[in-house]
Amino acid sequence: MNAIGPVEPGEGTTAPRPEPRPAAGGSTGHPTAPRRALVAVLAAVLLLAAGGYLYATRPHVPPPAPPVPSQLPFPAQVVDVTFVGPHAAPPGASPQTFAFEVLLSVDAGPEVTVTRVSQPYAGLSLTTAPRTPFRTAAGTARTIVITMHVTECGTVPENAGLPFLDVTLRNTRAIQEQSFILGPRYARALSQALQVACSNESG
Amino acid sequence: MRQRSLIAITAALAAGALTLTACGSRDSGDKGSDSGGTTVVIGVDAPLTGDLSALGLGIKNSVDLAAKTANKKKYVDGVKFEIKALDDQAQPSSGQQNASTLVADKDVLGVVGPLNSSVAESMQKVFDDAKLVQISPANTGPALTQGANWQTKKERQYKSYFRTATTDAIQGPFAAQYVVNDAKKKKVFVIDDKKTYGAGLASTFTAEFKKIGGQVVGTDHIDPDTKDFSAVATKVKNSGADVVYYGGEYPQAGPLSKQIKASGAKIPVVGGDGIYDPTFIKLAGPNSAGDLATSVGAPVETLASAKQFVADYKAGGYKEEYAAYGGYSYDAAWAIIEGVKKVVDDNGGKLPDDARAKVTAAVQNVSFDGVTGKVSFDEFGDATNKQLTVYAVENGAWKAVKSGTFTG
Repeated sequence: MNAIGPVEPGEGTTAPRPEPRPAAGGSTGHPTAPRRALVAVLAAVLLLAAGGYLYATRPHVPPPAPPVPSQLPFPAQVVDVTFVGPHAAPPGASPQTFAFEVLLSVDAGPEVTVTRVSQPYAGLSLTTAPRTPFRTAAGTARTIVITMHVTECGTVPENAGLPFLDVTLRNTRAIQEQSFILGPRYARALSQALQVACSNESG
Repeated sequence: MRQRSLIAITAALAAGALTLTACGSRDSGDKGSDSGGTTVVIGVDAPLTGDLSALGLGIKNSVDLAAKTANKKKYVDGVKFEIKALDDQAQPSSGQQNASTLVADKDVLGVVGPLNSSVAESMQKVFDDAKLVQISPANTGPALTQGANWQTKKERQYKSYFRTATTDAIQGPFAAQYVVNDAKKKKVFVIDDKKTYGAGLASTFTAEFKKIGGQVVGTDHIDPDTKDFSAVATKVKNSGADVVYYGGEYPQAGPLSKQIKASGAKIPVVGGDGIYDPTFIKLAGPNSAGDLATSVGAPVETLASAKQFVADYKAGGYKEEYAAYGGYSYDAAWAIIEGVKKVVDDNGGKLPDDARAKVTAAVQNVSFDGVTGKVSFDEFGDATNKQLTVYAVENGAWKAVKSGTFTG
């Protein structure tokens, strides 16, 4: 994709015409010593010229230029967060605590730091393992354990259709908060966990 | 003697240099191939006149840009792309007539459009019977791809229908979550225009709003052919609602918002991608500050891939804005171009006799980095890239306030 090619001769450029050779007649047919030297010099010059030209026009592999910040992807465009499934609650946790796993992957671009994970409902709090902030490199994925604790059953929706996690992402391009809507499996898992947690509380 | 030698050396060097230059330029020069052998037409169906033409013309221009870009790049060897744009005036009957017209043109190998889900319903079978691929950049009605019973049993409707926009199955609930959790509004008055798109979107919003603790304090429908909404505005005022959700489009949503505020109800109006256009703000007036809209996709300014599109659109000299669906229209057209390329490449560089069926099959499997991100389709014909954004009216313009990605 290197657009720089060999320098072409400009329009109208022509090679100088060589002078006509002198008519044969006086020559013996054997080059004299000065003529042999001239031929040798000419050959050497041609060789040097050809070598120089080939060197100058060799295919260039440009050194990788540092990415211009404006060309780097925004973190939300390269990060995916998907629901994996339920995870055992920490030993000794209260009945109002439950946990599940999500997989966070970074497709491309610079390393992404997750600075915050939250969820939108007032009666719930959450922690993550690993704890924020944590970093993930491009081309890699990591499992995150989300542990939720119900603080007030009356304010949590037990049957949300498309609940999501809000994740704050940072890379060298930008900081963004993105809602990851984890789909119906997450919705069902969250509903079941909330129903269990809140039935325990009322019971 | 010295002078003659000098001339000889110069001649030899020049000849050598010219010879090498000629060798070196062989690989970098223009091959001079002519890509104008076969003309492939990409049909466009959208409202090019009338109230919704701001969106429709953005669709048409963006498809035109994709075709011109493919031609400029000689992206499909031996194929030149042209567009054929027909005006459906947002009417299902016109859309169906346009579908028949496009099917009858044997050079048409794919169609981008329409804008309205109700228009799409009238076109799908016509295209599917002809095995002609159709990709909408804007239809959000879930039933178009997943069937009328999509909430309980998803079922692909037509193999020839695809879309690059996400659906109201996500858009409505995402809006509901924002209204309850972020805007802290719990009492909604829901209004729709009784059309496929508007009623469907209002329905998905309402279902999620109730599930997460919201209360619906009133509902009503409007007649999209009128602009006097004073009666419904009074109902909103008397309902005690702290937010209005409107399922419909900006030509009605703008005056509706204005008249609700004029009635004394200083509460935000929230809508979907159908109201996400600068015209809404013009029609609604200065009291529209704080009104909200969800729209498909991430904000253009956060997409590195969109920068080239925005620059090329500007350089293309189009009079109208690319509007809400420009990037999705470009990607829809490019999916067709990718499909044509695959079919031509698989057939020794020529279009086969059954090109339409083969292009439709190829589109199902396309995968490329488009203006709006990765473009590919799932088993229902829906876009696999499901992003959407909440916008708020601030200082007379739409401003992105929250973005989401569906990863389920």
